[in-house]
Amino acid sequence: MMYHQMPIPPRSEHLWRYTPWPRIHPTKPDDVPTADDVVFSNDGPQVLSSTEHSQNTQGDIARAFLQAAGGSSSHMSLNDESEPVHINARASGHVAVGHLHLDVKGSAVVFLHISGEPEWVGLHITGTLHANAHLAFGFINELDSNTKFLRCEDWQLARDSSLEHATLSVGGFRCKSDVRTSLNGTGSSVRQSITVNADGSRHDDEHVEIHHHHGHTQSDLVMNSACGGNSHFIGTGLLTIAEGANKSNASQVFRNLLLSQKARAEAIPELEVLADDVSAAHGAASAPIDGNQLHYLMSRGLSPEEAESVIVNGFLYDAFSNLTNKQLLEEMRTRLTVHLECELKR
Amino acid sequence: MADEILRIENLHVSVEGTPILKGLSLTIHRGEIHAIMGRNGAGKSTLANVVMGHPAYEITSGRIFFKGEPLENLEVFERARAGMFLSFQYPAAIPGVQVGTFLKKSVASVRENPPKGREFRKELNAAMDQLSMDKSFLSRYVNDGFSGGEKKRLEILQMLLLQPHLALLDETDSGLDIDALRIVAQGINEVAADSACLIITHYQRLLDLVKPHFVHAMIDGTIIRTGGPELALELEDRGYDWLEVTA
Repeated sequence: MMYHQMPIPPRSEHLWRYTPWPRIHPTKPDDVPTADDVVFSNDGPQVLSSTEHSQNTQGDIARAFLQAAGGSSSHMSLNDESEPVHINARASGHVAVGHLHLDVKGSAVVFLHISGEPEWVGLHITGTLHANAHLAFGFINELDSNTKFLRCEDWQLARDSSLEHATLSVGGFRCKSDVRTSLNGTGSSVRQSITVNADGSRHDDEHVEIHHHHGHTQSDLVMNSACGGNSHFIGTGLLTIAEGANKSNASQVFRNLLLSQKARAEAIPELEVLADDVSAAHGAASAPIDGNQLHYLMSRGLSPEEAESVIVNGFLYDAFSNLTNKQLLEEMRTRLTVHLECELKR
Repeated sequence: MADEILRIENLHVSVEGTPILKGLSLTIHRGEIHAIMGRNGAGKSTLANVVMGHPAYEITSGRIFFKGEPLENLEVFERARAGMFLSFQYPAAIPGVQVGTFLKKSVASVRENPPKGREFRKELNAAMDQLSMDKSFLSRYVNDGFSGGEKKRLEILQMLLLQPHLALLDETDSGLDIDALRIVAQGINEVAADSACLIITHYQRLLDLVKPHFVHAMIDGTIIRTGGPELALELEDRGYDWLEVTA
């Protein structure tokens, strides 16, 4: 179905409850503005070639909108890359849209850095991991603090492939992400970590769907957000385990650290388990800084401000602790450190 | 007195309106090791926490002096910077914060002329060797997933590096096996030689390795008897009932 044929999703839908479509749309929902290209570039030998947009909107209004809005569309094939690949996505103009497809055979480590100052940016990333492929993917959102950002990702994992996916979300004024992973083959696995630092009046809505279509598949999601000022963070997860996908193993943990009275955070994991023999666990917690942690650090000479900063930074770092790919882990932590140091200087 | 480190005068402390300490007085001088023993709930940990400035404890009357200066206006971190150290019974875990980073930050905050770079690493390595701690500790998160013994070793490592004038050790011997206890005791003895030390314990076994100058028996929020090392042996042998009768 094309974008204009789609009804605006009601707020009763889980996905659109906290950030309704009109709030993340660049103008008015009836409008499809002419979009500038998000420019993808890469310093390495891998080729970024132009391609057609993905036609699979999954009946989702955000994906259909990104398809209708056009923008740039690039494709990269990866096959046993010895060095990490750094893709820069630069957005400019009023409204900018980009589509990127990664086709992975063998092993690769990819970082996608998005930056720029448009009023609105849309990004649709799709990825195919072939049998036995292993991708470590780091997404770093460093958009201007006045930018609205819509991001959709769709990952298809074949037999015995693995995806390690890390997100550092520190940019943008209002952000809506919808990252979906389909475990389509036996032995496939996804390990996903999301770190969100929200301050001021930042609004960040991170939706993650993981679908276990086959048995002997694994997923592990950790989402940590630190919310200060008047910020609002929403973390929603939909985990499905299909009928017959036995011996699947899934876990989802959402943790929110509330740093001010006015900050808000929602953590809503959802499970739909249709198989009998599975292990599925989920947990969610939202709380202010633990007084015992604060007291402990202060008893070691740290001022209240230093102690709070150490706890928050540690909390944000900790979301990446479930990553096993060292290059991904180090880069994400380095980016987080740079962000936190810049924030400290402000 | 020039070498007086801690003086507590008729201290009364409440937690959420419940009186815990009821008129406790104690003075500790440099070079002295004091041990406090008492039943669970006698107020031993409250004493350590209130001296360190935990905000949950309310001093309803009495005073505490550190090196002759009143403590009531000092926040926890200022007490640490003044040279006070508490080895916690249950140290807090700080996920995401690596031990190495934490130690460096803490030493830089507390010590007047903190060692830097290679000098710090040299000191750290020596202290870790002394406590038979593997260097992999440094990349772990503070107390996160640590065993009871590992937590206590980390507390003593911090004490060695922070070089306090007053060390308060709250059941530092609990959760330690015999070998670990010996190693930890060695660390305490090293620090105690040039500072004042208050050991809170239930058992004689630590006091076999760290010889106290004074042993205090605490019942219901106050010290009811003070003696030498022989008092600890007597308490171990007879329990606390006879003291209550005497009191």
